[in-house]
Amino acid sequence: MDQQGKQDAVVELSSVSFQYEDKVVLDDVQFSLMKGDFVGIVGPNGSGKSTLMKLILGLLSPTKGSVHLFGQPLSKFREWSRIGYVAQQVAHGAGGFPATVREVVASGLVGKIGLFRRLQAHHHKSVEEVVERVGLTAKLDQRIGSLSGGQLQRVFIARALVAEPELLILDEPTVGVDQESIEQFYGLLRSLKEENSLTMMIVSHDVGVMTQWVNKVACVQQKIHFHGTAHDFEHNQEQILQQMYGGSMKVLSHHH
Amino acid sequence: MLADWWQYDFLRYTLFSGILIGLICPILGTFLIVRKLSMMADGLSHVTLSGVAAGMLLSKKVAFLNAVNPLFFGMLFSVLGSLFIERLRKVFKAQQDLAIPIILSSGLGLFTVLISVADGFNADLYSYLFGKIVTVTIEDLYALLGVAAVVLGTVFLIYKELFAVSFDEEFARVSGVSRRAINLWFMVLVALTIAASMRIVGVLLISALITLPVAASLQISGSFRQTIFFAILFAEISVLGGLYFAYMLDWASGGTIVLMAVLILLTVLGVKKAKALLRTGL
Repeated sequence: MDQQGKQDAVVELSSVSFQYEDKVVLDDVQFSLMKGDFVGIVGPNGSGKSTLMKLILGLLSPTKGSVHLFGQPLSKFREWSRIGYVAQQVAHGAGGFPATVREVVASGLVGKIGLFRRLQAHHHKSVEEVVERVGLTAKLDQRIGSLSGGQLQRVFIARALVAEPELLILDEPTVGVDQESIEQFYGLLRSLKEENSLTMMIVSHDVGVMTQWVNKVACVQQKIHFHGTAHDFEHNQEQILQQMYGGSMKVLSHHH
Repeated sequence: MLADWWQYDFLRYTLFSGILIGLICPILGTFLIVRKLSMMADGLSHVTLSGVAAGMLLSKKVAFLNAVNPLFFGMLFSVLGSLFIERLRKVFKAQQDLAIPIILSSGLGLFTVLISVADGFNADLYSYLFGKIVTVTIEDLYALLGVAAVVLGTVFLIYKELFAVSFDEEFARVSGVSRRAINLWFMVLVALTIAASMRIVGVLLISALITLPVAASLQISGSFRQTIFFAILFAEISVLGGLYFAYMLDWASGGTIVLMAVLILLTVLGVKKAKALLRTGL
């Protein structure tokens, strides 16, 4: 990679390995995310794609190799508000929590505002703006328990966006979103990406729909098996998936 | 009868202490309950109890500890217990709720042994167990005032961090919030609050005041802030009503306060049910 390329790399993993006790999850992985990329990370359950994401979020540290975020090594990186994160929804079970859409979205500002400081008027304004952008203004002061799965997902996107991150990472964002809303959902992501000049990374097992929206695809199965444009991926899909899964992926990609 | 509350020092101390407890218990309780840690108060109250027993024993056996209020030993044990729970939660990662029964049994076991080594049960101990108005001293009130100031100050200064960590630990971590430090400090506050509230409601009943008003509030609140607000309102009604009736009828203050809180919870549930029935009926 040339010098110019290095400067534009939002995320850079060099020779990264990760293992839990004896189990090697990622083995000598090279991966980079360039400014403006819209990357889909695909792979079966247990392939290491979630681990890859957690390494980028600083939730895990690599066993070997190095992770750079915005040009800084992971151990020195502190500007976490530059990265927005939308977790897999099933992991939340947040519906019963007694908080309003406004309160949840405002909690996305916690890192940006900093310790011992309280929310100011302009913070409240940006909460209202981002809620409007995801189309939930009517629900602003309602408890999140009254929302549908798709609406709750948009609340989490608003929470991730309110701090104006440069990189947005989404983990299985379409799980729990009904089929009709998925296209709409990706449409929203794409326009949010363009309006805010975001770099975006989506981790998903749902190869079918996602690859139509992203511009790059990375296939993870302990190693990175393919890392290229969505166009190239579509053309060689059969072969790549065959190589990774030995045919079982067919079932998955036709699932939706 | 009401005039007594101004005439006698101990009643005034009790009244002020009650108001402070009614303020801080439901605030901490709200954060505990939304994190599904409502049993934490129970676990810690038993550790506090063993601290009080240790304090009583030491004041008997060691001359220079004679003047030390057993309350402070309760606080010390409770804080150590809270640190131990955080530790246990890490050791038993897959069964995090196990930390509480472990700490609860340890506390109770230690308590019974310490009490048997000292002189066994007496009236003073009874007041720590169940709460008794006449035992509140100015020293108890000052201790509680200090704890309340720290709790309120903390919640004012790091409300958004407490909310973020309670709602979604992983997101808070990814946002760069030092989740561990926040959790630890919060548990220390819960421990101190339990110890400081002991004289009024008693150790065995303190967890009721931490959980019951919040349980009622959750039924009707429209937001997280409102949950805290209504929980405080219900706790204050329970404390003031409970203290009044306890003094008037010569009942145990702790039990009376808890019964008030139960009554409020049942009323809220009943009104909610009635409203729902009316709506479907019309």
